[in-house]
Amino acid sequence: MQKKLLLSLFAFTSLMANSETEALKEQLQSQQETTQKLLSRVEMLEAQQQSSTNTSASFSQNAYLPDIAMILNMSAVYRDVKNSDYANYQVPGFVNNDLTTDDDNAELPFNANRGFNLNYAEFAVHSVVDPYFEAFAYLHMHPSELEVDEAFVTTTSLPAGLRIKAGKFKSAFGRLNEKHQHSWSFDEQALIYKSLFGPDAISDAGVQLQWVAPTDTYIMAGVEAFQGTNDMSFGYEDPNLFVGYLKSSVDIGDDLSILGGVSAAHGKTVTKENSNIYGVDLTMREQLGSYSALVWQSEYLQRDKDVNASRDSQAGLYTQIVYQYNNNYSTGIRYDRITKNEIDLSSYAGINTDNLERYTAMVEYKPFPMSRLRLNYSHDRSKIIDGARQDINTVMLTLNIAAGAHGAHSY
Amino acid sequence: MKKIVLITLVLTTALFASLKVDTTYSTLGAITKKVGGDLVSVTVLGSSKYDPHFIVPKPSLLSKLRRADLLIMNGGGLELGWLPPLIQNAHNRNIQNGAKGFLDISHSINMIDKPVAVSRAFGDVHAQGNPHYSTDPHLVPIIAKAIAEKLMQLDEENADVYQKNLDTFTQKWQEYLKGYDAELRSCKGKKVVQYHELYNYFLKRYGIESIGNIEPLPGIAPSSKHTLELLMKMKRNGVKTILQDVYHEKRTAKFIAQKVDAKVVVIPHDVGSVKGSETLEDFYNMIANRICK
Repeated sequence: MQKKLLLSLFAFTSLMANSETEALKEQLQSQQETTQKLLSRVEMLEAQQQSSTNTSASFSQNAYLPDIAMILNMSAVYRDVKNSDYANYQVPGFVNNDLTTDDDNAELPFNANRGFNLNYAEFAVHSVVDPYFEAFAYLHMHPSELEVDEAFVTTTSLPAGLRIKAGKFKSAFGRLNEKHQHSWSFDEQALIYKSLFGPDAISDAGVQLQWVAPTDTYIMAGVEAFQGTNDMSFGYEDPNLFVGYLKSSVDIGDDLSILGGVSAAHGKTVTKENSNIYGVDLTMREQLGSYSALVWQSEYLQRDKDVNASRDSQAGLYTQIVYQYNNNYSTGIRYDRITKNEIDLSSYAGINTDNLERYTAMVEYKPFPMSRLRLNYSHDRSKIIDGARQDINTVMLTLNIAAGAHGAHSY
Repeated sequence: MKKIVLITLVLTTALFASLKVDTTYSTLGAITKKVGGDLVSVTVLGSSKYDPHFIVPKPSLLSKLRRADLLIMNGGGLELGWLPPLIQNAHNRNIQNGAKGFLDISHSINMIDKPVAVSRAFGDVHAQGNPHYSTDPHLVPIIAKAIAEKLMQLDEENADVYQKNLDTFTQKWQEYLKGYDAELRSCKGKKVVQYHELYNYFLKRYGIESIGNIEPLPGIAPSSKHTLELLMKMKRNGVKTILQDVYHEKRTAKFIAQKVDAKVVVIPHDVGSVKGSETLEDFYNMIANRICK
């Protein structure tokens, strides 16, 4: 009996096993089929992909094209002085646009005409060169000339917080010197900058070494050597201009930031005499929201220049407040003044040369971060025209466009 | 002055033990802390109460970048308006684009909303797609992994610790997500409008439909014509929720809400941008609670 039972059990299990194996076999079969199908599909896709990859031109370098931006700056100007008179204005002791002398500072590149002006079309080009250098070029096209505003390389891989810049570039002297015209808060150049350096400020061929300290507080020191071709302050034929500065910044809370700096420049004039310029600057910015801020910026510059063995000492300042209401609107006021003018002014005998100053106000509208309309008014009490002190009122509407791959502006 | 410099120098060297990591935004900072633990000291550059497109490039940020061993950025064009000049002027070779200490998280993310055509005629569109991915909690483990891998590369000695931190964090996060997803199931199909396309990753993940934006084009302030169109659209679709961020003006949203009897809810876009969203969990919980309830 037991034997029978065992036998039948055995038969049963082997039968069961048999049917199980069958099932497994079938499953395996179907799985194999699926795998086969998948394999052939993968092969097909691979073949497809192979035929569709890399059909680019063999020597195409499009991916390495530099960032290029086009900046256009234009204006409509009303001025209560005739264009021919304005072209001859003088700032006593500083700017002499007397066309009878061969003076280089007769340049009036921005908003010179009563009426319409195309100030410039600028091409700004930027590219990483290789793991060691970045390159920048700003090409200013005035209606009848092309000017290399800046063209320089900077290092990206020096140790210890160092960076070298070489080429033709704007000095980082002071606060405003390095800024391009299209990033100024007002359309006219600050009076003391215009008076000491002319429209391009300190911009020359040279080298710069900057160091950022490894501290919690921002501290930056820099030294620069230039050819010194700007003959309003320098101009000796050999390299003669050396610039140094120290800048620092602290934050008070999340929203208030303060940036201050001291700068010095030492150069030689055309007659190889000393010309020293000192500057201090202070900027305070209170952030009132993502798109709203109050910025107070001031700068004082002094020049001691030796002329025929006597020393001319001159100085001036500007102070400005800009209130950014939201991402579309801002407004601002600026006060410019020549504070010291110890120089031989005998050629202006009988003309009042004191209290040289200017008041400026502006309202700007930015429909988008890349475009800006600005209404700028100035009451200028710093000019002499045709042998007489002449106050100038200017109203201008300027349009600035930055199209294309334009890099962000720094602080 | 000398004393101050010396003291700061001493303090700086005392901190040298840990890897100094700068992140552009706070959510990336919070994830880095989870993965890096005690081995990293994290500095967030952009305050989360401000528009992430328009962080002010304050000079104090330069001194932060100057000493960083690693810079972690969001990418996708979000930092284009403020970070490049900071990198150029911080003079730190470790964090230059292409250096070992530079990490762009967007390269690990499958970006959505990629525009078919890119032109500024369409406003501030990002060619790489929508860069506001930090609102999707499912992307947190992906971000954590990318950060952990980078930390392991920079600090090989402690690779095991980072791996362990990552594993622990990922496991916990997956647990958290189970509950989170379950809660949000009820919200599927809900319709909302937002100011800027800031929450698309979250909305897409949970099947919530965004009917329109208060701004007519990305980065362009509301116009009355567009607002009227949006009103009509909301009425047609029965939209009752307006998603408002912390940094845009709230007048327009309130005006619309009044007209169509909808509710304005302020949604954090990054960790800490709204009070009570200071941790990762609180941040994502707040998004879910405010959109869904």
